[in-house]
Amino acid sequence: MSTEAAIERPKAHRLTYFVGQNIGLVLALTMLIVAVLLYCLVYWIEQQALPGKFELTSTVNNTMSLVLCGMGQAFVVLTRGLDLSIGGIMDLANALAAVHIKDSIGSMIGWSILILAIGAALGLINGLLVAVGRLQPILVTLATLSIYQGVAIRVLPQPGGSIPPIFSSVLVNPNQPTALVYVLVVALIWYAFRRSSLGVSIFALGNDEQAARANGIDTVRAQVAAFTLSGLMSGAAGLFLAATATAGDATTGNGFTLSSIVAVVLGGMNLFGGRGSGIGVIAGAFVTTMIVNILFFSNIDPLYQSFYEGLFLVIAVVLGSLISRIMRRRS
Amino acid sequence: MAGRNILAQRLDRIGFTRDVRRIVYVYLAAFLVFAIGQIVHPGFAQLDSIAAILTVASFVGLVAAGQTFVVLIGGIDLSVPWVLNAAAILLVTSSLGEDGRAAYALVITLGMGAAAGIVNGIMIAFLGVPAVVMTLAMNGIMEGLTLGLSGGMTCDSCASYAPPVVQDAVHGSLFGIPMALILWVVIIAIVSFVLSFTTFGRKTYAIGNNVKASYLAGVNVRLVTLLLYTLSGLFAALAGILLVGFGGQASLGMGDPYLFQSIAAVVIGGVYVLGGRGHYLGTAAGAVTLVALVSVLLAMNMPDYGRNIIYGIVILILLLLYGREEKEE
Repeated sequence: MSTEAAIERPKAHRLTYFVGQNIGLVLALTMLIVAVLLYCLVYWIEQQALPGKFELTSTVNNTMSLVLCGMGQAFVVLTRGLDLSIGGIMDLANALAAVHIKDSIGSMIGWSILILAIGAALGLINGLLVAVGRLQPILVTLATLSIYQGVAIRVLPQPGGSIPPIFSSVLVNPNQPTALVYVLVVALIWYAFRRSSLGVSIFALGNDEQAARANGIDTVRAQVAAFTLSGLMSGAAGLFLAATATAGDATTGNGFTLSSIVAVVLGGMNLFGGRGSGIGVIAGAFVTTMIVNILFFSNIDPLYQSFYEGLFLVIAVVLGSLISRIMRRRS
Repeated sequence: MAGRNILAQRLDRIGFTRDVRRIVYVYLAAFLVFAIGQIVHPGFAQLDSIAAILTVASFVGLVAAGQTFVVLIGGIDLSVPWVLNAAAILLVTSSLGEDGRAAYALVITLGMGAAAGIVNGIMIAFLGVPAVVMTLAMNGIMEGLTLGLSGGMTCDSCASYAPPVVQDAVHGSLFGIPMALILWVVIIAIVSFVLSFTTFGRKTYAIGNNVKASYLAGVNVRLVTLLLYTLSGLFAALAGILLVGFGGQASLGMGDPYLFQSIAAVVIGGVYVLGGRGHYLGTAAGAVTLVALVSVLLAMNMPDYGRNIIYGIVILILLLLYGREEKEE
């Protein structure tokens, strides 16, 4: 119905219409551009040079975990849910990687696959409890967060263990921005998802559950799949986290539950489900890292970091809803 | 929906509605936990041990009072940990441990909690920011401000103690009952009265059941929402004051456990998370059950991770139980 309306509009309105329909994505990309420019500016003032390969590499390496778990969160947010257990799954993946991955190809590949499978399985448990048990996503994942964190601490009671250097350099090469390839992979996963029947089901479910069911969509399956994907992505995020830290800590993943929500929100995804773009979420993840970088180079006391993150989160949400309201009124 | 209401009305006449049943279950659960504690660790259910558990539960219970208010309208307050922590630190830094400055410190600390709640409320009620996002952001804002302004707890006044008046007030007892507990009982009475017997309470339930209908019925939805978030901030600050009075000094991260525990108390207490149903009487029992459970596990020398796992499993089981009751109708 909405596409027909778009075709009938004169050309000048089409752009406005596109922007209005994809306002979240447009805002996220705008924010990313502004953040990068601002970063270059403060970097220039401090260093009298533009950021180079090293800065790009470290930014991409540091953001990969957030890109992955943000994308996982996005799948769940699209269904109108929220996955608070992401931090717990990342903790467990991180701990398992630090304890078990040894310096041999077989061990690295075997354990990576196993950890991804465990992540997916934990997500599946969330999904089954939510969809089949008909429980509130926030409460289920708050409870499983506690359980998964507990198991993670059982696996690795004290920070320690080790990650083979080869494993680290394959995932997060400190010398070359090879991790950009993984960003591209995540973007491709999003495109494949968006075009799959599962993607259609999840978007439909998020927009109107009853209408989706009336149109023959298996909403239970869609919801379970969304949580399973979230668990899988969180497992991958945990692997990247272990690779960047080169050792394990069963608590470093905790903060990612909140950051993943921040990335999703900054990425312009609607928290009430059914709207948003994974590309926006990737941009949102990078904006989050950029904020930290900008604060660092503006010589702002790092203790204030969460203050600015919270502030920007609120500003982004308020501006986003304000602009989309204006856009909708115009079109 | 209509059939459900008629059924509820009929049960109401008997005086044993589902909502009442739920609260009764929670009290039974609390007794059960104490009984199990007595079996696995004889002496667990002694009077002074019960008093100690109830005192600890009162801190959770206070935070959970604010959480109950916002959950009743289908919201949530994730800013609890750092509002509480900021309050504890603000109390010691503004009072410098002097009795003469205690009154002033109490006022600005409670004012700070209320202010954080008001900002939450304004953004949620008037600017349409989702509650999860707003309170999450507020938690970060309070964390950043607390860490930044106190220099990561390195400031000179950060090592101050809570004023002796406050410490005595928390540690004191009346007729053998700890003061913290008496305060909690008073709060339980006030909150329950507000929820059950005032128009404000009725409006809260109305909004939780149906925002549009209550708006059309003339409820000032935005104002009530604003007030509820303000109350939540206020209760978090109050809990911070009591905690620092109890422990003497403030520390970073002391508010962290209270997010999970306050939400858990609300859930165990049978408050419906989508709003409109539940009572603080249930939440209060939920807080006791939760803290008693933790104490039993501690008495059994259960390590930290085991406690985390059991926490989660207990909440899941309760959710499944309540969910099942929902379906029976």
